[in-house]
Amino acid sequence: MTKRTLNFTLNGQAETLEVAPRARLLDALRVDLNLTGTKEGCGTGDCGSCTVLLDGKPVNSCMVFALQAEGRDVTTIEGVGKPRALHPIQQAMIRSGGIQCGFCTPGMVLSLKGLLDQNPKPDEDEVRRAISSNLCRCTGYSKILDAVKLLADEGTTTETTEQKPWAIGARMARGDAVDKVTGKAVYGEDVRLSRMLYGALVRSTFAHAKIRSVDVTEALNLPGVKAVVTGQDTEMGYFGYEVRDLRIFALDKVRYNGEPIAAVAATTPDIAREAASLVRVDYEELPAVFDPEAALTEGAPLVHDSLEDYEIDWETERGGNLCYKVEVTDGDLERGFAEADHIVRGVYETPVAHPGSIEPHSSTACAESSGRITIWTTTQKPFVFRSYLAQALKRPISSFRIVPTAIGGGFGGKLFPVLEPYVVLLAERAGLPVQMTLTREEEMAATMGRHPSRIEIETGVRSDGSLVAHRLRMLFNTGAYGPYGPNTAALGSLMATGPYRIPNLEITGLIAYTNTPPNGSVRCPGGPQLAFALETHLDRVARAVGMDPLELRMKNAWENGDTTCTGQVLDSVSIKECMRKAADAIGWDKPRPPGVGRGIACNWWVSGTWGTQTLIESNEDGTFRLISGCVDMGTGGMSGAIMQMAAEGLGVPIDAIQLVSGDTDTLPWDHGHGGSRMTFTIGRSAYEAARDLRQQLLTEASGHLEAPPEELVIEGYRVHVRGQEERSVPLSKICYARHKKHGGPMVGVSSILDEPPPTTKPHPIGAFPAPSFCAHAVELTVDEDTGEVRVTRYAAAHDVGKAINPIGCEGQIEGGVVMGLGLALMEELREKDGRVQNPNFADYLLLTAEDVPPIESILVEQPATEGPFGVKGVGEPPIAPPTGAVANALAELLGADVGRLPLSPEEVSSLIRTVRS
Amino acid sequence: MINDFEFVQAHDIPAALQALAGEGRIIPVAGGTNVLVNMKRAPLPADLVLDLTRVEALAPITTGRDHVRFGANVTFAQLLEWSPGGPLQELVRPMCMGFAGPLIRNLATVGGNVCDASPAADVSPVLLALDAQVELESAAEGSRVLALTDFFQGVRRTARRRDELLTGISCDRPREDERVFYYKLGKRRADAISIVSVAIRLRLEAGKVEMARIALGAVAPVAMRATDAETVLLDGALSDQTIAEAASVAAREAQPIDDFRSGGAYRRQMVETLVARGLRQIAAHRQGAPSA
Repeated sequence: MTKRTLNFTLNGQAETLEVAPRARLLDALRVDLNLTGTKEGCGTGDCGSCTVLLDGKPVNSCMVFALQAEGRDVTTIEGVGKPRALHPIQQAMIRSGGIQCGFCTPGMVLSLKGLLDQNPKPDEDEVRRAISSNLCRCTGYSKILDAVKLLADEGTTTETTEQKPWAIGARMARGDAVDKVTGKAVYGEDVRLSRMLYGALVRSTFAHAKIRSVDVTEALNLPGVKAVVTGQDTEMGYFGYEVRDLRIFALDKVRYNGEPIAAVAATTPDIAREAASLVRVDYEELPAVFDPEAALTEGAPLVHDSLEDYEIDWETERGGNLCYKVEVTDGDLERGFAEADHIVRGVYETPVAHPGSIEPHSSTACAESSGRITIWTTTQKPFVFRSYLAQALKRPISSFRIVPTAIGGGFGGKLFPVLEPYVVLLAERAGLPVQMTLTREEEMAATMGRHPSRIEIETGVRSDGSLVAHRLRMLFNTGAYGPYGPNTAALGSLMATGPYRIPNLEITGLIAYTNTPPNGSVRCPGGPQLAFALETHLDRVARAVGMDPLELRMKNAWENGDTTCTGQVLDSVSIKECMRKAADAIGWDKPRPPGVGRGIACNWWVSGTWGTQTLIESNEDGTFRLISGCVDMGTGGMSGAIMQMAAEGLGVPIDAIQLVSGDTDTLPWDHGHGGSRMTFTIGRSAYEAARDLRQQLLTEASGHLEAPPEELVIEGYRVHVRGQEERSVPLSKICYARHKKHGGPMVGVSSILDEPPPTTKPHPIGAFPAPSFCAHAVELTVDEDTGEVRVTRYAAAHDVGKAINPIGCEGQIEGGVVMGLGLALMEELREKDGRVQNPNFADYLLLTAEDVPPIESILVEQPATEGPFGVKGVGEPPIAPPTGAVANALAELLGADVGRLPLSPEEVSSLIRTVRS
Repeated sequence: MINDFEFVQAHDIPAALQALAGEGRIIPVAGGTNVLVNMKRAPLPADLVLDLTRVEALAPITTGRDHVRFGANVTFAQLLEWSPGGPLQELVRPMCMGFAGPLIRNLATVGGNVCDASPAADVSPVLLALDAQVELESAAEGSRVLALTDFFQGVRRTARRRDELLTGISCDRPREDERVFYYKLGKRRADAISIVSVAIRLRLEAGKVEMARIALGAVAPVAMRATDAETVLLDGALSDQTIAEAASVAAREAQPIDDFRSGGAYRRQMVETLVARGLRQIAAHRQGAPSA
């Protein structure tokens, strides 16, 4: 296989390369030319993140042999615009907020360029069609469509605002957008180290089997292979979140199809995969259990022989295949049912769904001569990952240095180590850096998805619509391991009442082990499952008593002073306002046109928290450095709302503050990006650190200006005496003097501790700090012949407490709604005998720009009592209500009882047949 | 096994035929949108990849009064922009709109999709409804023409010999008074693999069906004609009763499988539903049309 010469025009310049015949255009660009702005999300033409222009037309560069580009003209993102000379499309994407994680952005920009070069004034349908091959998991496409509208309006609008562009509440473009829109941001697989090797995993091909032997001889003998590691030659500990039941390699037996057994490193990815296929594993197949209900019955095959080996943080009944159980009770359930005029029962099921980040996992490790090891990885939790690695490899936490890369979408999928332990071991064994990247197939088949659920509900209601009794049993399948099982059940139990008053309760949450791939903590864990079950059920309750679904919800909705099922007293409840606004936005009270169904659904959720520390440090030139260990999985909070809050706290222009990037050696500890905590927790911490530093600045300035600090004002880059602007001193002078003469920089510090609100009942989570509330309303139509659903209108009202950066809040809502609509309509990992049938973006479908309805995001601002500005989290909750809202609209339109997701054409068609028969 | 093959770019048909006549395992590639998917999943079983994209003779669409010929390299983007007008356009354009997404449409070719012979290929039912014939050429035996129905032999199996090049596909150009229908049922609006697709082409004379083509995708090992259903329609009026009967016969002719994309029962039921819908639309159009 000799290399061949390729001549082509790249970004306007003649280029000559030697490439292997097998190289794709994508490989030539990324590997040979190091143009890493072109991304690989799937490699099978299904996601569009590798889009380039070939002779002016957008194509997937993963679908073109490099040698096919001979003599042709190729444009990549690097040829579209430069950071200081952005293309108008790039500028518009930044202004509209069309960029979140940024992984799809280069491809999206090129598809838009391909369209606009041909058709400068496309209508919205043409834009949607032109980007329909480019999957975006973050934005919900709305703000990308807005970017094209901004381009069309260019020159016709002038923004007149008194407000500083970074003021609290201003619509501010995020700070990291330029890197993302130009393809400069470095994601997991963009890391390049000299003499780097590539890794691959050997995975189980059985769902449940004893491992008799693992023979690596043949693999080791393959030329180019530099290291092979197995469970037999590795010191392994159990690791996990609340339950520590996982080891990095299966040792005595495999518990799911796809479980890692060995890892290899070789000089090319191809050789590594080939070597992985040469590792011989001798299995003895065992009876397996796939259904969680069956797993909990007597005599079911045991996934784990002894649960006693596994530490668990929360007290629980467990044993057999029961991983965890949580119970919450309130009032007197039997009396409640006795008081009820109607008892409504229902069973609701949701499938496994995948976070579906467009960026696959990729990690790179390099062993240092000191014995420490550095890992570049796409992670939501760099610091917590060190702890996981320490448990998994039985080493000190501080022996790992983790350098977080840009994250191409997280959604919970990057909360837990996937490749890090393997690259560590391989890099040490080989003595060279090792990178490992998952294929899309591995990503979908063997990284953690959302727990599938089966939820049974029995609700007692009086004729006037008051809910008086509620028995809810939820069973989640955690798969072969349960690192996030308890968390999902515990969160689910808090959502089991929704934001409604129900005095008599019995809630049970069960986590079962089965021989299916493990499930984890995906955006709003438990939320969409419970919102689907409970909200669909409430519409059944409303039908039973003959009430409008909105009226029933309003009647039972929480108000300030109400308590949750664990006894948390609520003091900033806005659910009624959210419902009213969402309902009004789709004209709820107006008569339904024929053929149109409407549905409403609500949810409530946590804001933050967990510990963090933020530092703001002065530079000697009067600028500042914001230092936080929190990474940004794509929402834009770190370079957006957090910076706005820091600027507000200090009183300086936002440009005076740099966001420091670093690693676990250089940054202060933080728990990571998850739990809708960024603005609530990191924002509060940044604001407090800024206030702390501001005070120090004023004290310093007081010496310069000979006035007491409380009479001083920071404005622009100066400090002046209030009312006397001429008596001022530049920040640069204050800082320089302080640095040079008085012992270095001033540092503002804030540490946030985890102190949840009090509760009256024992519960592993107990309370939600600064709970947020939301209500969604949807309008849809159905093709009653085929079962195809068309969502025509969508409104989502979210109480964000205070919108620090409305663009960011809307982006979370729109993206969450679209992800939630995916769960409602099409997302499902199909497992057969424990094996995933559709591990790719051709058959695990995310909504495209053509499937997305217009979404109205409504920001409700009912301030939380905690924290500055009253912010509440908004990252996760938008994903929950769409399942219930869509199910309710369909149930109304068809007169059917909806009980299962997703509502695919086939499922809807079967509902229609059931009603008709 | 590791991807280890030579790569040759042919610039004309004779060069392509000569390459195909060589030894070893040869994979011809044009749009690459199936070959490269396969290569991502497993090493290609190939000694040589033969790139056809530069063979200009494979590029054009040629249109006559009653026939049309698609060169093998015609892309779906090219086909989408093509405006032959009349029922031909009414059949081809919605298929192109539903074919994958815009990025793939800029690469994928008609010839490549026919040779890939996926039972779910969107283009196949339309070509079958147009009585397509494939033109094959080889260095050893010259050219031959095969009906598309004979070309498809099974799931991703065709009658193409390893030394043959598919150069083009010839189809009927429907008369202006013919009526057509196309529907692709997928799980989402863009870029979806079809659950069922249906292409119908009908000619009515004096209220009677003179010619009928009903073609189905994704409901059998190969894209298929529902010939029994066509027979039900022939020589009769397009009444509600015959429509219902034809649709039900078409559903019986289909041999759908259960898989993770859809249950077989649903597929079969959708054949009936969509064939009936198409025929009803055609009948309604007919009634509404001004009399000649």
